[in-house]
This record gives sequence, structure tokens and C-alpha cells, in this order.
Amino acid sequence: MECDYCERRCRLGPDSFGYCKMYRQEGGRIVERFPDRWCAYGVSRVETIPFYHAWPGARCLVVGTSGCNFNCRYCANAEVVKVDPAGLADIMLDIAPEAMVAKARKHGCHAIVFAVNEPTVSLPTLARVAEAAKAAGIAMGCLTNGYGTPRSTALLGRIFSFVNVSLKGLASEFCVDYLSVPEAGPILRNIAALARVCHVEVTTPVIEGVNDQEMEAMADFLAGVRRDIPWHVFRLLPEYRMQQEHYPSIEALSAKVEAVKNRLDYVYFHNFIGSRWVNTHCPSCGAVAISRHSLGCGGDKLDTFFAAGGRCPSCNGPIALYGEHVAWNAKEATA
Amino acid sequence: MTLALLDARQWQQAVDLRSGRPSEAVSPLGGMVGDILARHPFPGDRDGGSNAWVTDTALDFVARYDPGFAFLAYAQQYYSSRYGALAPETRRKYVENAFAEAARFARESGMTTVLVGTGDLVPATTPIDLEDLDGLAVASNWCAHYAGLYDLSDRDRETLARHPHLERIVPRQEILDLFGGGPEDGGRLPDYMAVACRGGFFKGSSLRRLVMVPEPSAVIPVSQNLGPATSILDIRPRLLELLEAGNRVALALLEGVGCAEFQPPYTTCANGKDWFRYEPGDAQYLALSTGRHPIFEHNGGYRYYLDDGEHKPYPFSGYFKELPAGTIGEAYPGRSIAVGNRSMFMHVCTGCDVTCECFARNLYNQGLMSVIFRDDKMVR
Repeated sequence: MECDYCERRCRLGPDSFGYCKMYRQEGGRIVERFPDRWCAYGVSRVETIPFYHAWPGARCLVVGTSGCNFNCRYCANAEVVKVDPAGLADIMLDIAPEAMVAKARKHGCHAIVFAVNEPTVSLPTLARVAEAAKAAGIAMGCLTNGYGTPRSTALLGRIFSFVNVSLKGLASEFCVDYLSVPEAGPILRNIAALARVCHVEVTTPVIEGVNDQEMEAMADFLAGVRRDIPWHVFRLLPEYRMQQEHYPSIEALSAKVEAVKNRLDYVYFHNFIGSRWVNTHCPSCGAVAISRHSLGCGGDKLDTFFAAGGRCPSCNGPIALYGEHVAWNAKEATA
Repeated sequence: MTLALLDARQWQQAVDLRSGRPSEAVSPLGGMVGDILARHPFPGDRDGGSNAWVTDTALDFVARYDPGFAFLAYAQQYYSSRYGALAPETRRKYVENAFAEAARFARESGMTTVLVGTGDLVPATTPIDLEDLDGLAVASNWCAHYAGLYDLSDRDRETLARHPHLERIVPRQEILDLFGGGPEDGGRLPDYMAVACRGGFFKGSSLRRLVMVPEPSAVIPVSQNLGPATSILDIRPRLLELLEAGNRVALALLEGVGCAEFQPPYTTCANGKDWFRYEPGDAQYLALSTGRHPIFEHNGGYRYYLDDGEHKPYPFSGYFKELPAGTIGEAYPGRSIAVGNRSMFMHVCTGCDVTCECFARNLYNQGLMSVIFRDDKMVR
């Protein structure tokens, strides 16, 4: 039977598990191989994930499972994502949805964010966590490569209220060579679909000389969906099969970011230490509305939030935010 | 203001270390430090050239700053063994390389170089799952042996007491008693500390599969050129004696190397107190550097993230919200440097005038950071 969680649409059987190795067929249904099994969890800042416009300052429980439906050349979590999930069984954690939500509360977290691997490979588990989280008043967010089917993307949009979609490239050649998928069409479709139902930010790892010439086209596409979609342009960190390759030039990429930044309200350039392009500026007057530190792989961090009530501190113009500014220890008292 | 220079490869940014904000301040050492960073891009924690990077960079600082004291850390063999299934001969080659690099530094700098192994590694054989507690278990990525326990129920206490892979459960008061603390010292200690068995590690805290973990060792090796040292706390005063006698001295830590693999003639010193043994990490560095046990402030079970809110000072210093006082670099009046591939411990734990470290976090290599704590000694 055909899997309809992602656009690979793998054939599944009792002993054939598809590209991500996370689903199988059982009694005419698609079921998870490893329900409620997690590779790791940790407490992190929402800016680190990154979300710059959702619940600024919030403490999150970051969680992940294993497996992925992409094979990116530069995968940062290959040691979890690219290995056979069955081989991780001894170190995976068995945590039921209610227990995961309780864990988030005990750690004083405002939200649970799925951010290690691709949520499409664990959607039924995540749907159950979302149900428990909703009852507990805990928000749910995720990172995704956006390659789900329309049905699973709709489910993703119901599970998560804030989503960061990775738009890695547009050209089919790039998608084949660097991601091992045939085209970006489903991703573009899903960005538009998700932006209609939840808060969306977009991240693009840029490889100099490979996908940097697509930055204008990507910015134009995003502006066509919503001009206020925050766009995180990442300097690629060469990992996995690109580990021996050069780090992209910050000077060259920053010039390209400057050239496209007027096409969207919020364009950021980071994923390296000390970036100067991580503050939120008011789209109307240019004043700093939120300042941040860029710690590279140490994770980004809120410095100062000036946009009380979602308004610019200078001209009172609107700053696009999903959720309010959350004090770091706000949930401690109730945890 | 303390200036930190960030180097993200072909791009540098100066920041105020305390606020983390970009700085236009000028230091007399800034140009020299920036040039050294640019000449020595960091190859990566597990790269075969990582320990050579330490020696090359440290020698560059020696040539240009002429320090009387150098604090070095060699960690490639530690990271590679922790996460990679190495053949025994590969592990042996990595350890030999660490000694060879420390020896090259000693030879080319002419400094009396004291070597300290931070303890043996053992296979990570026993994942320990504490997820079913009613209370909270806090383990961290870089501390395999200890976990903090909070708000335990009676059921939890029974479960933990019977746990086959926990060596002991230690109440906060027992830790305070062992290290001579009063009630005011317990604020950052967990309610209880869970101590894993040899080869045990707490599940869920590491994204990567752990292959080897610190033993952690009851005693650690110290090269005989230091003189007598029975405790890890004795290393600092012995080093200061050597320095006061007019020697140019380097301390080189060889991470994840214990008595079993230590090469030069050595003596052993206690790596902790009673049941408590240091893992390679912040607490061990501070015990070495300050000559005091820092366990009340730095232990594997504290919920460090509580301190990580907005406006936390020192955003580039990880979970540290202040820079520890009483470090060896502070105590030495001459020029000092720290260079190492054990990331932020170099600037947080050594107190040296100028520090240089890889800015790699969780093995992701983003470049380098150098901190200039003192720039007033060049004019003497």
C-alpha cells in the first residue's frame, strides 16, 4: 500500500518501511514502527530553533524522533537521522504523550518544538502529543522540510501552531543532487498552505555558487505568499557529506541578503557566530524592535524585546508576531 | 570592558564579552589576536589536525606575546572516542598524537610543560532511563555520570534505591557535608544526585550515540616534572611555585586520558573526594585552576537553563552567568595565554590574559573565539 505521509509515496508492507523507515503496513493501515519513541529532548530558547517571530523569549522543550524522508548532503543531525531507526532502539526514550507534556511542564517550558528530524515521519505520535499539549495549554511548533502530502500537511497544520519550513532550493537539479528529491513544487505548495492556517517562518541554507543565485526568486515567492513571512537565510554549515567543503563567504552572502531584503518585511542572515543580521527592524521606520545575539551553533538568543503589544517602539507600526513575549522563567511558578 | 573576537572564517566580529553586543573598542592586542585567528582556522573537534591546531596556535601566541604561563587543552582523542567506534590502534594513535603535540609545544616554546590526563574513558555500555519518575531527572549532554533529581515521590525513591545501574543516590545534605558547605551553599545543588555505574550514562541527553564515557577516574596522572601532588587541588599551587621560581611553565590537559594510557613518567593525584570523581568538564577545570572544589556551583545536576534568560550576561560563555574568580591565570602576575580545543572552558576557567578556543558547540564547528582579559602587560 502507498504511504501518503510524504510525497515520496513509498510502497509499504508488513516488512517494508519506506524511505524514512518509520512506517509500515498493518492490517490495511499505515502504522508507526516506533510510536512514542524519542531520540532525545532538551530545553532550549525559541530563537535557537530558530523562531524569531513566535513567542519571543520562550523556553521550549525541543524533541525529536529518528528518520527522515530527505537525504540532504549537509544534514546537521545525520548521526540520528541517517541511521536505521531500529538500530537506535536501545537508546531511544519511551515517553507517552501525556508524559511528554508533563515533562515540558516540569521543565517550565512554554512550548514543545519538534526540531531534530522531520515531523512527517512521526505524525501520529505528534498528533497525540498535540492533543495532550492542547489540554495543558502548551503550544506546539516544528521544523519541517515541507515535503508532506496535502493530507499530511493539513494534519501538520492542525498539530503545530508555529512552523519553520526549510526552503532549501528551487531548481530540480539542486533538489536531486543535494536533497535526493525530484523537485521543490510540493514544498512551495505546502508553504502557501501552512501560511493560511498557522504561523510560518522559512529557513534557507545557502551554499555559495549552488543555490545563492536563487535568493531573489525565493524571496519573490515568499512575498507572494505573505510579505511578513520571516525568512532566515542561513550560511550553510558544511556537515555530513559536505564536511570537507568550504564555508560560504559571509561577505559575499551578506551582499546578496542586502540585495533582497526589501522584498520581504523580515530577512535575517545567520547560523554563524556574531552575525549582525539577527535583529528585527520595523518594516515601516527601520527601528530595532527586537535585538538578539547570534551564537551560531550555540543557538540564537533574545537580547532585548522592544515590541510590546506587537508595536514598533519608535513609530508604533505593527511588528508581525505570533504569540506574546514570554519571560524565560514565566512557567517556573506553575511547573 | 572585556573584548571577545569572534572568527567565523574569513569574517571577524568584536563583541563586549559581558553584554555580547558588537563593540568598536580597540585593544592594543586586537590586531595581533585577529591575525592569529585568521592564520589558524579550526579544523573541527574530531579532525585529525585538531590537536596540531592547539600547538600551532599556542606557538603563534608564544612568538608574539611571550607568555610566562600557558594553559593548553588537547581534546581531539576525547571527542573522537566519545562518539566514534574507534579501533584500538586508532585510539592509540590519537592518544599518541596528543602527547606528541604537547611535546612539540614544549620543545618549540622552551616552556616546562606539565601534563595532566583528565581521566580514563570506558565503553558506554549501560543506558540508564530515568524518564518514568514522578519527579524530574536532569542530565546534560556532557556529563554522563551524574544526574540531578528533583521533587522525588516516595515511589521514585523506591525505584531509584532498587535501580541496578545506579551506584548511589546522594542527598544534597550529604554533598554539603562532604565538601564542607553550609545551607547557604546548596542553592545550585539538586535535591539528590544520581551517580551512574561504571559505563553507565543517562539516556536522552545526547543526540549522538555515546561510544565511550568518562570512567570517571579516582586518580589522574600528572607528569613528574610538577613535583608532588596528592590531590587535583595541589596542581595549582605547585604550578605557581614553579612560576614564582622563574620558570616559564605550561599546563597541558590531555582530555580523556588516564593512567592506563599516560606516557611520560607520572605520579597520581586524587580526582575528587570520597565517592565524588570529576568527569572531564567545567568542574574539573575549575578544581585544577582555582585549587578549590567548585561542586556547589558546578555539578552535573543543576538546571543550568534557569539562568539563561534575557539579559543573561556573557551570552557567548554558554551556561556561565559570571566568570569564576580565583583562577590560576589571575593569580600569576606575568603574561599568560590559554589555547585549547575544549571550547569555552579556555576563557571561562583559566583566567589567562588572552584565551583562544574553538567555537564548536556539540561538535558543530563555527570557528574561533579569543578573549582579551588583560592588554596592559605588553607595555611593561
